[in-house]
Amino acid sequence: MGTTTEINTDTIQSILKQNKKQIKLGLAMCAHCSLCAESCFLFVSHDNDPEYMPSYKFINSIGKLYKKKGKVSRQVLEDMRDLVFEKCALCTRCYCPFGIDIPALITLGRNVCRSQGLFREYDREW
Amino acid sequence: MIKAKSKPIEEIVDYITPYRDVLIVGCGGCVSVCLAGGQKEVNILQTELELLRDKTKTDGQFSGFTVERQCNEQYLGVLDDMVETADCVLSMACGAGVQLLAERYPNKPVFPAVNTIAIGVDLDVGLYEERCRACGECVLAYTAGICPVTRCAKGLFNGPCGGTNGDKCEISPDINCAWHEIYTRLKAQDRLEDILKIHPPMQWQNQIKRTIVQKGYEQRYHQE
Repeated sequence: MGTTTEINTDTIQSILKQNKKQIKLGLAMCAHCSLCAESCFLFVSHDNDPEYMPSYKFINSIGKLYKKKGKVSRQVLEDMRDLVFEKCALCTRCYCPFGIDIPALITLGRNVCRSQGLFREYDREW
Repeated sequence: MIKAKSKPIEEIVDYITPYRDVLIVGCGGCVSVCLAGGQKEVNILQTELELLRDKTKTDGQFSGFTVERQCNEQYLGVLDDMVETADCVLSMACGAGVQLLAERYPNKPVFPAVNTIAIGVDLDVGLYEERCRACGECVLAYTAGICPVTRCAKGLFNGPCGGTNGDKCEISPDINCAWHEIYTRLKAQDRLEDILKIHPPMQWQNQIKRTIVQKGYEQRYHQE
């Protein structure tokens, strides 16, 4: 898995602080209308699995971190890694009628994971 | 996807020797997939360079950061402060990523840490093979899905050269003749007429920067 076993909460909080406005606005604006779902080719190709909805992905990654003020366990971050790396290609094609920059928010989720040594391992044997 | 390979460490050291603080920038795209320039490889390169610098007892420090894609400016903003404090940047992305970084930071030396090799396929973990040279005029429709630009040593468009030796290329007995393979596959599909037509030389487009505008986006990106 990752290179360390502990979580550096300070680093996570620093990323959250730097991007507070964007995260807060994104979470506040999301009306859960699910219109973004249809614009995600992974959602469509995975039998409309709700975990592939762009809104689900940002709410349950950077959104969750924001609400928990960065205080999460490594297991939570590992689950988050699977969500933002395995379930999103960052193709940037997701559409939000309110103009939420969903790819930017998912990227922030990835940044937090990367800062804790969690990223997609392409040499992992499945 | 794009395949790349790490440059020899001596070459990298040669680039960065005049600089004190070096920022190593990885890319979360193609070079991560081919294990050449993702976050893991950034960590490895950073450690290698630190060890070498310790050995030579020189000053300076290395830091590493991986962006999601270096070929998209949208992901580069996070680097601005880090690049500002670094003396030079080592990019582990493909040639496109290195150039976009160099464009964004014109006052900072940006060096490549990998050699961009090809557009290829994954044969296994860590094993890749070239399939495409992005020539811009795909001929695979009439060559039975075998690319003569990539697979024929001479990039011939209208059948094999005189040097073909049975099913082997004249440059090496270990290399199959692409045109022999094309012929064999087309014959099996009863499509040999596909290679009877003479195809004119390719209008090489690699003299200018090619821009890809997908169907449906022509109006949006139309330039006067």
